[in-house]
Amino acid sequence: MEKESFFKRYGLLIITGVVVGAAAVLLTKFGNPANMGFCIACFLRDIAGALNFQRAGFDAEVGTGIVQYIRPEIIGLVLGATLLAVIRKEFRPKGGSSPMVRFIIAVFVMIGALVFLGCPLRMVIRIGGGDLNAVVGLVGFVIGILIGIVFLKRGFSLRRAYHQSMAEGLAFPVLMVALLVLAIVGPSFIISSVSGPGSQHAPLLLALIVAAVVGVLAQRSRLCMVGGIRDAVLFKDFRLISAFIAIIVTVMVGNLLVGNGLSFSFVDQPIAHNEALWNLLGMVLVGWGSVLLGGCPLRQLILAGEGNTDSAVTVTGFVVGAAVAHNFGLASSATGIGTGPVALAVIGGFVVLAVISVANMAKMEG
Amino acid sequence: MNFVATFHTHLAAMLTCSTLQKAGVTAKLAPVPRRLSSSCGTCVFYGGDEPHLEAMDRDVEAVYRREGEGYACLYRGED
Repeated sequence: MEKESFFKRYGLLIITGVVVGAAAVLLTKFGNPANMGFCIACFLRDIAGALNFQRAGFDAEVGTGIVQYIRPEIIGLVLGATLLAVIRKEFRPKGGSSPMVRFIIAVFVMIGALVFLGCPLRMVIRIGGGDLNAVVGLVGFVIGILIGIVFLKRGFSLRRAYHQSMAEGLAFPVLMVALLVLAIVGPSFIISSVSGPGSQHAPLLLALIVAAVVGVLAQRSRLCMVGGIRDAVLFKDFRLISAFIAIIVTVMVGNLLVGNGLSFSFVDQPIAHNEALWNLLGMVLVGWGSVLLGGCPLRQLILAGEGNTDSAVTVTGFVVGAAVAHNFGLASSATGIGTGPVALAVIGGFVVLAVISVANMAKMEG
Repeated sequence: MNFVATFHTHLAAMLTCSTLQKAGVTAKLAPVPRRLSSSCGTCVFYGGDEPHLEAMDRDVEAVYRREGEGYACLYRGED
């Protein structure tokens, strides 16, 4: 293998991890909910709410729910990745790798994330904030990844993607631009929560720029929460996981420096519950599904920004999954798991992932 | 190892790695070097004096020879 210096091998990823961690702390300082500087699942859920696909916690008096807001971070991440991919001639429209199956997996990944209350990136940020429930989530996440790896090793494949037209590849980034216009203009049909987490947000321009910087770095470094653990297990390659660790350390130090707070406990953690079984099982679903998808929700946003339309379909699945989770009472809150058929959804999710995993296994010789 | 092959799927990389190893070629799975791709796929690093194109799975993306810090493309599959 290549003999590389430590900095050459890990430098970009550690810098990316530090910037992501610092960005998360900064966005929380400037208004984002606690331990939620970044959360791809939560932010896509908020966008689903802004478009009125869900209105969890609807208050008839004020006319909004509690998680409805066009999160500029999502737009910034995608467009930052698009910008760098175009500049570096890496914007390559491609797709057709089992898009419908990816959509279904994405719906269940989102349901799992909202049972836990966060995507893998928020899980890492929550750990950095001292939330021990997120450590339970991490255990589930690793278990889910290991299950996914078993199927990968046995020949699981969603088959290859093919080159597509520039128009197809640009559709998703253009959709993000349209969303940005809606966020700036703020027409009355776009809903912004006046209470709850959806009402807590950093200023639009700051969130957009900070996320775009993270999008650029994530595109350059291929940052992926799932990939970190997958590569460490499959290839003994620890590059991606170095960013994962850098985020945790930076968030811990950052929270102490800016006074966001850092207390190690299971109880009274911000926008988190302490039902360990569901924190664990929710993240098993996320880990397993994300291995089948080939990357965590953040990575799917970055790939969609590079013209990967399978990832764009996956992100669409996340948005639908968020609407399903809230409309059927599957999403948790600070008091615990939702009021809906959570066990049915999570166990049903395992059955769906198992069927998809087995049905897409190629016959392996010897 | 002198050569690296990239693939459209993890499965194709696994199958090719296995074929090469059965042919007595030293081969190893690894994440695709960032220099070669912005995607996060799996590649096969392998040794020997020739690129063994006949051992490649049909979902091969490209085969490169390592030249110092860089890579020279020897073969590119269907896009």
